[in-house]
Amino acid sequence: MKKRLLSIVLAAALVLGLTVGLTACGNGGSGGNVTITIFNSKMEIQSQMEEMAKKYSEEKGVDVEVYYSSDTVAAHLSTRYASNDPYTISMVDAKDVYSLAKEHAIDLSDQDWVKDTTQAITIDGKTYGFPVCVEARGIIYNADAIKKATGADFDPTKVKTTADLKAIAEKCGTGIMKEDWSLAAHYLAEVYEQQDDPDAFIAGIKDGSIKLEKDPKFIAMMDTFDVLKANNYAKDAAISAEREVTEQKLAEGEIGLMFGGNWDWSVINAYDYSENMGIMPVPNDVDDGSSEKLVGGGSKYFFIDSSDNTTDEQRKAAKDFLNWLVYDEEGQKFIVEDCALVPAYSNIKLEVKDPLGASVKEYADADALIPNYNYLPDDHYAKCGAIFQKYLADKIDRAEFAKEITEYWSTAEVGAH
Amino acid sequence: MKQNKLSYKIQQYLMFAGPGTALFLAVVIVPFIYGLYLTLTSWDGVSATKPFVGFKNFVEAFSDGDYWAAMGRTVIYSIIAVVLINIVSFALAFLVTRGIKGQNFFRAGFFVPNLIGGIVLGYVWKFVFNRAFVAIFNSTSLLSTTNGAMFCLIMVSVWQYAGYMMLIYVAGFMSVSKDVEEASRIDGCTSAQAMKNVTIPLMRSSFVQCIFLSITRCFVVYDVNLSLTNGEPFKSSTMAAMHVYNQAFTFKNYGLGQSEAVILFAVCAIVGVTQVLIGKRGEVEA
Repeated sequence: MKKRLLSIVLAAALVLGLTVGLTACGNGGSGGNVTITIFNSKMEIQSQMEEMAKKYSEEKGVDVEVYYSSDTVAAHLSTRYASNDPYTISMVDAKDVYSLAKEHAIDLSDQDWVKDTTQAITIDGKTYGFPVCVEARGIIYNADAIKKATGADFDPTKVKTTADLKAIAEKCGTGIMKEDWSLAAHYLAEVYEQQDDPDAFIAGIKDGSIKLEKDPKFIAMMDTFDVLKANNYAKDAAISAEREVTEQKLAEGEIGLMFGGNWDWSVINAYDYSENMGIMPVPNDVDDGSSEKLVGGGSKYFFIDSSDNTTDEQRKAAKDFLNWLVYDEEGQKFIVEDCALVPAYSNIKLEVKDPLGASVKEYADADALIPNYNYLPDDHYAKCGAIFQKYLADKIDRAEFAKEITEYWSTAEVGAH
Repeated sequence: MKQNKLSYKIQQYLMFAGPGTALFLAVVIVPFIYGLYLTLTSWDGVSATKPFVGFKNFVEAFSDGDYWAAMGRTVIYSIIAVVLINIVSFALAFLVTRGIKGQNFFRAGFFVPNLIGGIVLGYVWKFVFNRAFVAIFNSTSLLSTTNGAMFCLIMVSVWQYAGYMMLIYVAGFMSVSKDVEEASRIDGCTSAQAMKNVTIPLMRSSFVQCIFLSITRCFVVYDVNLSLTNGEPFKSSTMAAMHVYNQAFTFKNYGLGQSEAVILFAVCAIVGVTQVLIGKRGEVEA
């Protein structure tokens, strides 16, 4: 009997403990500070984000928690939506804003920062996406390496045509990233993006009214690509050249030119890099001014959750946080100095420290950015990347390349926008 | 209480196997059934709505050329890898049960690759193929050619699994009692004949087990595939599992990817079960 009593008491204690524990959990949010959660999908700034969250929490009385996941952004967020536990603020890619915003984001049109940026994402007249930074693509050059090879000071603004590029490339050597995203999502995409109307162009390829292999922009861009390809340091094994090795060679001046973007700085700065680097537009022989513009724009967007799982206080705190990033000196410093990102806001005057970012800022300030085409299908980079890799490895010629890309588009659909 | 009453049996079952059954249901059976349901929807993996489309995904899966190319590749890869894994591991097991000096050390050594996760292992070998071999032989990397990439995948898989299968074969060798082998030698068998006619038939269950394990693992290979080749060059080394993952998560065709996964599961199950049934039939006991 004694034993039995003991077990009942124990069981009761356990139940009580559990209940208390659960209630404690339930009340955690409402006591004292408001807690907002931020999902970060930019791995290289995770430690900076955590540090900022700690400081911000102390100073503003709002508890900020930062999470990171290496999963595909949309897949990761969908698990959070499925479990009714969304992040207050989520950082996603531009295309995710288009697919998620209507269901999951609140309208931010009334925010001050909207007028200070050209990169916010607006769908049906409502602004949903807060651009975290600007990223742009072009040809990364190492001016020291080029000077050493050619004997003359390098002026990127003098490189206007494919022939200009060829003259330099033959002396200093080039590198090509064989990654499918670099080839298809970044280089091939420029063929679409540099058209007057990318939507119409892709529709034209789809219905056959535009022949890709005869398109002047395609020809010009591929001519330029051929110059890069012919002078590739890893010409015989282009398809196994590792990105890190290529960027190391560029950083240390063994080669002078490589197609890439300012995000490559996070790789380059791991090596013994030259200070005189920068990004210039991809020169091509279509005279439409595109040889003077980089391609790029807002990259990584914050949006604020619209579901009932997020309280109005949390949303208010989230909006304050976004404003802090744009208008508070600390916030600006965080973006530009701590994270080394190029700000997407014209009121932020801080100087970008890394040379690639500085180049991008220059072009962005001069309004010389050709916007990204954010609506390519999800499998575009992988499938067209594979085709492009075959071209890079000389397995197919340009006509076959154009044919296979056209075939891809015959069944692919661009994202809704 | 009577011990053969149904209620008693149920009670006993629930007491001992209940928690296990509940867990198994919750983490295997329910997700599996839910997964089957998802094959009938055109869900993109993200949105809140899961439109019901019937068997459209299966029709699409059967006409997805890339998928069947990946599947064909997986079958070829599996056949070669399974044969090699079993030959190598059997040979290793034979060597380390002969009583040579330091055989425990060798056993441990051959087993080590299996302790390294597939992802790490892939990156290590990628370095070896792309840098070390290129520097030593002054050639282009094997990974940059289509056949070379497949060869590398097979080689790394054999290296990874041989040690594990070796352990099973070692256990098989140990389970064959010395007297039957000695008896056959006294009856005039050469050592090769004794191996062929006595030891191997008695080890049949080890073979069944090893082949089953290697087949099922090769069919769903993903980690080494991801870190060693990532499908390159030109997606010519994408295995079925990787294609399924990309289809579901990267290309956001969750329903289609899920149905392709179900087909992969069915193929894998049919092959595995057939092999076990055939293998079991001829099992003998001493």
